[in-house]
Amino acid sequence: MINELLIIIFAPLIAGVIVWALDIKGVREAIGLIGAAIPLAYLAKLYSTVLNEAVNYSVTVSGFTLQFQLNSMSWYFAAVASLVGLAMALGMASTSKSSYDWLFALMSYTGVLGVFLSQDFVGFFLLWEMMTFASFMMVIRRNKHESLKYFVLSVIGAYAMLIAIGILYAKTGALDFATIRQALYIDASLGAISTAETALIFGLFLTAFGVKAGAVPLHVWAPGAYSETDQSYTTFFSGALSKAGTYGFLLIYILMGYKLYAALGTFHGHLTFAYIIAWIGAITVVVAGFLAVLQEDIRKLFAYSSVSQVGYILLAFGLGSSLGFAGGLFHVLSHAVFKGLFWLVTAAIILQTGKTQFKDMGGLAEKMPFTFAMGLIAVLSLAGIPPMAGFASKWLIYEAAIQAHMPLVAGAIFLGSGIAFAYVVRFLYAVWFGQRPSDLEDVKEAPLPLLIGMALLAVPNLLFGVAPGIVTKYLNRMLGGEIIGGDYYRLVTPTGTYNALLVAIALIIGLVIAGLVYLYGAKVRKIKVTNTYQSGNPVTEEFNLSIRKNFYRPLAEALDFWLKYSWDRFYERLAGITEDFADSLRQSFYNGNVQSYSWYLAIVLLILALWGVL
Amino acid sequence: MIDWKLILEVIGMLIYATFMGFIFMGIERKAMARIQRRVGPPIYQPIIDTLKLLGKKESVSHGFIYDFGPIFALGASIAALLFIPLAGFRLFSTNADLIVVAYLLEIPMLGIMLGAMSSGNPYSAVGVQRGLLTMVAMQLPYGLALIAVIQYWGTFKLNELVSLQQAHGWSILVPALFVAMIVFDMVFQAMLGLEPFDIVSAPAEISMGPMVEYGGKHAAILFTQHAVQLFAETAFFAVIFLGGASNLLELLIKQIAVLFIAIFVASIYPRFTIDQAAKFFWKWPTILGIIAVLLTM
Repeated sequence: MINELLIIIFAPLIAGVIVWALDIKGVREAIGLIGAAIPLAYLAKLYSTVLNEAVNYSVTVSGFTLQFQLNSMSWYFAAVASLVGLAMALGMASTSKSSYDWLFALMSYTGVLGVFLSQDFVGFFLLWEMMTFASFMMVIRRNKHESLKYFVLSVIGAYAMLIAIGILYAKTGALDFATIRQALYIDASLGAISTAETALIFGLFLTAFGVKAGAVPLHVWAPGAYSETDQSYTTFFSGALSKAGTYGFLLIYILMGYKLYAALGTFHGHLTFAYIIAWIGAITVVVAGFLAVLQEDIRKLFAYSSVSQVGYILLAFGLGSSLGFAGGLFHVLSHAVFKGLFWLVTAAIILQTGKTQFKDMGGLAEKMPFTFAMGLIAVLSLAGIPPMAGFASKWLIYEAAIQAHMPLVAGAIFLGSGIAFAYVVRFLYAVWFGQRPSDLEDVKEAPLPLLIGMALLAVPNLLFGVAPGIVTKYLNRMLGGEIIGGDYYRLVTPTGTYNALLVAIALIIGLVIAGLVYLYGAKVRKIKVTNTYQSGNPVTEEFNLSIRKNFYRPLAEALDFWLKYSWDRFYERLAGITEDFADSLRQSFYNGNVQSYSWYLAIVLLILALWGVL
Repeated sequence: MIDWKLILEVIGMLIYATFMGFIFMGIERKAMARIQRRVGPPIYQPIIDTLKLLGKKESVSHGFIYDFGPIFALGASIAALLFIPLAGFRLFSTNADLIVVAYLLEIPMLGIMLGAMSSGNPYSAVGVQRGLLTMVAMQLPYGLALIAVIQYWGTFKLNELVSLQQAHGWSILVPALFVAMIVFDMVFQAMLGLEPFDIVSAPAEISMGPMVEYGGKHAAILFTQHAVQLFAETAFFAVIFLGGASNLLELLIKQIAVLFIAIFVASIYPRFTIDQAAKFFWKWPTILGIIAVLLTM
């Protein structure tokens, strides 16, 4: 009997390899789906076990002991990832015809699960790199430039993490989480690791996990990488892979929280290190949100929106209170389900129309009604409309932020949610409504597997929206203690309360009243979309009057001062300067003159002689 | 186990709120007219207008979402109203707090936008764009004002806010919260869609923006929605800054006071353009909001 944890982690990879080796139409999709479903099934089976005790497993590979553990936290993350993973596989069954895609998509699935289940830095790092590598392979196939950006930033992150792990190993002599945690906890009072070193480790981890989570200013890879891959895969890329970054932030707390507190102290009553994380989150929310509003490409819009929403999670974790953790963890789930749904909807749109720019789309609601309904659910959830899952988690973050006395951070959430409202409505308008371009007349509804995938993600949006208690009860167990009170439908914090079911009922009452007024009103005659009021100036149908380009131009004008600065351009310029510098070095040193080469040799020998090497 | 008292309260409150909301709309038109030295329509004019619109024999529709938009907007306004403690009537307000109500008050906007977008009219599209940008612009000072209130009183629950204010004096008597009230009042102008932030409908430029396509019963539903929303928003203002109310008359006086401030401001100022509005909101109201928030920490 092979261990269940190994099955959970490696089932997708094995399925991916088989799919890649066989590459037969039909079989490919079936095996891929089975591989993607196995982790979810096993996790569901282990649910009741995990609530009572953690499941452990360890293997020894050439001297290194790899430890895996399924505890209540890793179960939560793994379950979210595998739900999104299954939806991804369903989407890919429709959108992807290539076994290459299947192999690397499933490989990154394994990587993500492995990251969540690892209990020591060897396995963590290896699987982290597998996840990065696989997702990089997905991007490079479509766009070299974007994949290179992703690659460079990932390498920076990986080196940062490796150095941090190295320092920790040098200081504590251990690689497994339990021992490191214990050692750092004891060291908090001993102080053998200096403040500067602690800050260094913290900074390195922050870089490593910040890259993956797409925190500003390390987010520049995300828009490109999220866009330039199969959109069904982006469901997983943005829905689950970015969560590995947020999981890393939790790991910082678990492993070195107390040590960081002891070393860095507090700032105006907040933990200094947590305060940094909270502000990184807040800035990410706002900056990425504004950039999302101004995008002209559907994929770019959702990519920036992903970055912005993951910012909420970082912000919540940065509050440092248990309510903050609960809110952040809830948002991990709700972001995964609504953003996963968004990407599947995007995949369907791109598959059926072949267009990605807003200016080429419009009026698709009539052509793809089911996809539109799913898109609307995702919009409501992302915009935080009660009673949706997105609202429940945002509500918790609001409560936590204001209770933690971080009013400016809470202000950033208010601004961020206003912005989110703006960009999702932009998506609604440009894609679904208005006049339809003539070349989209014969667009059809998305294929069935894709629709099933969407439904799979839409259900949790509604279910955990109306009954958020299901999630918060689990989170209470995970975090140990009654953090959020109430029952399945009611969330109660020390200062606030939110009854999701009652809000839903009130909305339904309102809708019924309004609906009755409508039904008992006059007859309705349906007219064409283009038959509108034009101030007595009738327009023929050749003109497309829907505003699709530069929809938010006034905002760009209001922000023009800030838009002059861009991290993207900063990095490009940095790369350019480095290149020029290297080029000038090359030209001045390797000038083809034999005499200067002999001089170099002489100088090097002289230095070595002075150093005492020779 | 059906709580008949609650059901009766809900029904009675809905009727009262709709009626008063229409009267508020009438007051708004009348007062505006008097300031401009016109006679103005009678105060019950909006009710007549709505009844007339309902009596139309035929409405036109651009499709399902076009119908659903106004219904959704009215439904959400009603839902928001049910969670605000109105004088002695608690309704559902023990079950949701300030953040939930603040969000519920924003949903009708989405409904109107949905309906407006589903027609092919460029005016409605411009209206939608302006509406959302106003929302983005006002969101930061709005949030800061609410945060100041929550921080000072230490609770999110509207009921507790009311009882705390009745025990310790109204919010606006606290200097920091007075600043927050000024901020909130500027935002309030935009929430009600009055000058200088009536950018969304801007009758002279884009023919009522999102509402341009609506006629017949659709427009009647939107009128009703506006009435309920007006009532809910003024009540929300009264609850968080003016100490709520112990009876409906007191609430009404406070609501009308709030309304008159809005009307006076609206009749003095011309309209901002949208980027001016954004720049304005991100300057003074935000600075004042930050001051208020820091004072209450």
